[in-house]
Amino acid sequence: MADKNVLIIGGGVAGLSAAVELADLDIRVELVEKSNFPGGHAIGYACKAIHNTCVRCGACMVEEKLQRAVSHPNINIMTGTQVQDIFKNNRFSVSIRQEPLYIDPQKCTDCGLCSNRCPVDGAILQSFSKNNHPFYAVNKEKCRYFKNRSCTICFDDCPEAAIDLDKTASEHVIEADAVLIAAGFQPFNPKSKPYGYGRFKNVVTALELENILKRSGGVKKPSDNKLAQKMAFIQCVGSRDTKLNHLWCSKVCCGSALRMARLIRERQPETEVTFFYIDVQTFGKDFEQVYREVREDIRMIRAIPADIYETEDQRLKVNFVNHPLHETREDIFDLVVLSVGITPGEDIGTLSRIFEVDPDEFGFLKGGGTGMPVSKNGVFTAGTVQGPMSIPDAIAAAGSAVWGIIQYLKR
Amino acid sequence: MNNTTLILGNGSCAGIVAENLLTAGAKIIIATKDDICNFGGSTDTVALQILTQARFILCKGSVGNFRIHGTQKNKPIAIDAGRIIIAEEDQRTPNFSLYGLNGSSNVITLSQMKHLLKDSSSEKTILSEIKKVVFLSGLVKESTPIIAKDVMLSSLSLQKDFNIKTYILTKNLKVAGDGLESLYRDTKNAGTIYIKFTDAAPDIHQNEEDPVRIEFFDEITSKNFRLTPDMTVVDESIVPSEYASDLAKIFDIEIDVSGFVQADNVHRYPVLTNRKGIMVAGPSRSIQDVDDQRIDAENAALAVTGFSGEEIKAKAEKAQVHDGQCIRCLTCYRLCPYHAITLNSRVAVMPEACERCGICAAHCPRHAVCIADLKPEVISALVGTGSNIKTQTTFVPFIVAFCCRRSAAQARDLAICMGHNLPLGLRVVEVPCSGALSYDHIFGALGNNADGVMVLTCHKGNCHSGQGNIYADQTVAQIREMFSRIGFEKERLLIQTLASNMGAEFARIAGRFEETITKLGPSRLKKNK
Repeated sequence: MADKNVLIIGGGVAGLSAAVELADLDIRVELVEKSNFPGGHAIGYACKAIHNTCVRCGACMVEEKLQRAVSHPNINIMTGTQVQDIFKNNRFSVSIRQEPLYIDPQKCTDCGLCSNRCPVDGAILQSFSKNNHPFYAVNKEKCRYFKNRSCTICFDDCPEAAIDLDKTASEHVIEADAVLIAAGFQPFNPKSKPYGYGRFKNVVTALELENILKRSGGVKKPSDNKLAQKMAFIQCVGSRDTKLNHLWCSKVCCGSALRMARLIRERQPETEVTFFYIDVQTFGKDFEQVYREVREDIRMIRAIPADIYETEDQRLKVNFVNHPLHETREDIFDLVVLSVGITPGEDIGTLSRIFEVDPDEFGFLKGGGTGMPVSKNGVFTAGTVQGPMSIPDAIAAAGSAVWGIIQYLKR
Repeated sequence: MNNTTLILGNGSCAGIVAENLLTAGAKIIIATKDDICNFGGSTDTVALQILTQARFILCKGSVGNFRIHGTQKNKPIAIDAGRIIIAEEDQRTPNFSLYGLNGSSNVITLSQMKHLLKDSSSEKTILSEIKKVVFLSGLVKESTPIIAKDVMLSSLSLQKDFNIKTYILTKNLKVAGDGLESLYRDTKNAGTIYIKFTDAAPDIHQNEEDPVRIEFFDEITSKNFRLTPDMTVVDESIVPSEYASDLAKIFDIEIDVSGFVQADNVHRYPVLTNRKGIMVAGPSRSIQDVDDQRIDAENAALAVTGFSGEEIKAKAEKAQVHDGQCIRCLTCYRLCPYHAITLNSRVAVMPEACERCGICAAHCPRHAVCIADLKPEVISALVGTGSNIKTQTTFVPFIVAFCCRRSAAQARDLAICMGHNLPLGLRVVEVPCSGALSYDHIFGALGNNADGVMVLTCHKGNCHSGQGNIYADQTVAQIREMFSRIGFEKERLLIQTLASNMGAEFARIAGRFEETITKLGPSRLKKNK
């Protein structure tokens, strides 16, 4: 099928897995990724192995898929790229808009000088994976050059002259025989919850904790960079929530949070962990044993806290009702992690309109039928764009979509 | 190469695999131990052969050319196939004993309840006499979303269609499945009462045919309650079928803690096994619902398509056995995770099945098996002699890190990208699997002036070659023990586990090891001290 090509929207684990499977079958893949780095949310997840043993979170699989995708001759990855519109005759003509690569991958050696010298926090973004090249990207939102042209330090100092801040966005049309939407999810924004996220420095999301663990291998209080003595996880923030009409379980948060909690307990035993939950969901094939160990080592409280206040010394006062003991409590923590739910991506409306795929009642793109990725008109979906799922499930969903695409291309 | 795919199973997953492969124009054989095949009636066509009452006992050959021996209708048969897909059903065992109950007319299993609800109207009369039903689910053993869904659907139907009051007693309600949170809300709206236990459990009493008496302290209201339902429904555990377990032995496939036919290893997900060309799909490999089974079936079909003739062609650098050296001790045969060693007239490697992990070569006591680019002298050349380390005023230790190519070597690259400083005298030598490391490699590095040697492997349960990291661990432990006995610093040899995404940890391990070796000073085995 060397004459066929497939457009994949989204470079997360589902998009990358599908790209590799298709490319291995000699099908050309054009993969568009709207962020600066392919890999999706999950490329920023930490390995959560403890006792030298894998806990099957799947984070390393994302690295492996990314490595294969970036080096595959049949795959072309375009970052900073979004789909504008499509025209369909027999094939798809898809118009895309691509933000420029201000750092030239041909010249950049990933030396990191731009990042070290940049005076603005967050203006040079750092990737999570060595399979992202360049390892750095210019963040237009923060960079002073794009505000008022007042700073050109990275441009001036780059030893390879790899940086050009005057490049402009371009628009192209891609021809494709089939389209796979693997646009991923949007983590629930917990600002609307009374937990002080965005106001209290020591309240972070579980995704942010994954990133912290991946970068540094441990966790400290963001407020003063000191070790947290008492840490809490709050589950179901934005999931299983009638008020929000989020009538779904995000499936992966119990596993992610408890695996991180165990990793932290192993690496920094001084940190005590409390886990607030509604129901602990089964994860992994050895859950029975893992759950037993968890209950011995982690304080499990079956309640979702009402609210969080900050004390004068930037500690966090958490209010909750401890049902089995029938008491209302106010506990103090140094660090609170919110397990934010998986919600439909922000561009799902645009994608469903452009590709004429109807969202389900909660706004995910199942692609027809329950979990059916196969569609008659050549548009397929895979991964968390379909609803909450784990990394291994997203890889499986990608395989299933690829099978559908191949049958469609052979028709 | 044989292009036929053998599908083992008679359930919905096997059916979906068969349908997909036939649509795609593949040739298939479906074999079931049952009397009747549920797929496509019983007529054979050019593309489809159906074998009923077929059981297998032995599998020879490798990907592209399997020969599977067994019996069909009690007569011996041998089947040739290029690929095999195991898609047997699971089975459910009732949890009566976990609750101290015995099955009776008013204590039934979840499957029996599903049956009652589904079956003819005559049996439904039993339900018409009932007013109160209690479901016991996940109170002793943790449940799964598959069981929770069945419990909730049954409860909803009892409430809505029969006006029966239902109670669900559980610990953690498993709603991590598509649509289950909505279903939970629907059951509550229909009148189902949920009683959730955190640490305590209900007292359950059964006296012959009397209604079961359930007493408990309710955590929300802080009151004691007693339930005497007309019918008590007990949940079930989902376990692999006995035949699936037999197949794992016959095909030499790794199993998980519960006996499902796939190692619990992320590299095998979704449908791969330790044997190239043998896939496992659906309830044979894990607890699955219907959607999961369809996704598995399609992945299995894709995996069959993926094995093109090109890919499995033998390549030169696979393991080779030298007849003159081999004494047929069968170490290689026992250790090969991919079942790539055959024992016909002599011991030989099936190149199409060999994944080049190097475990056989490292452990052959006669050095009869070798992989060209893993020979001690080749690795030794990669190690070098540390002569390129720039001399400093202070001692710079020469550190050799044998890194698994898929994990630690990747972590090293990430550490460099992230800007971590690595030891000046660090020499990384990539190996396909840490299981490929033998005494020769490690002593070779020490003989080449290394002041310290690190073996950096994958985490347990994450090794592509199943146990390669365990073998490396054993090799290192033996050598360290030897060092202790002869008075050589065992701290000079370290083994650690890492994943590909652990850049920060790689830098930390390497840095700490450098500190240790710096304190110890130059190795006594060094030639140019």
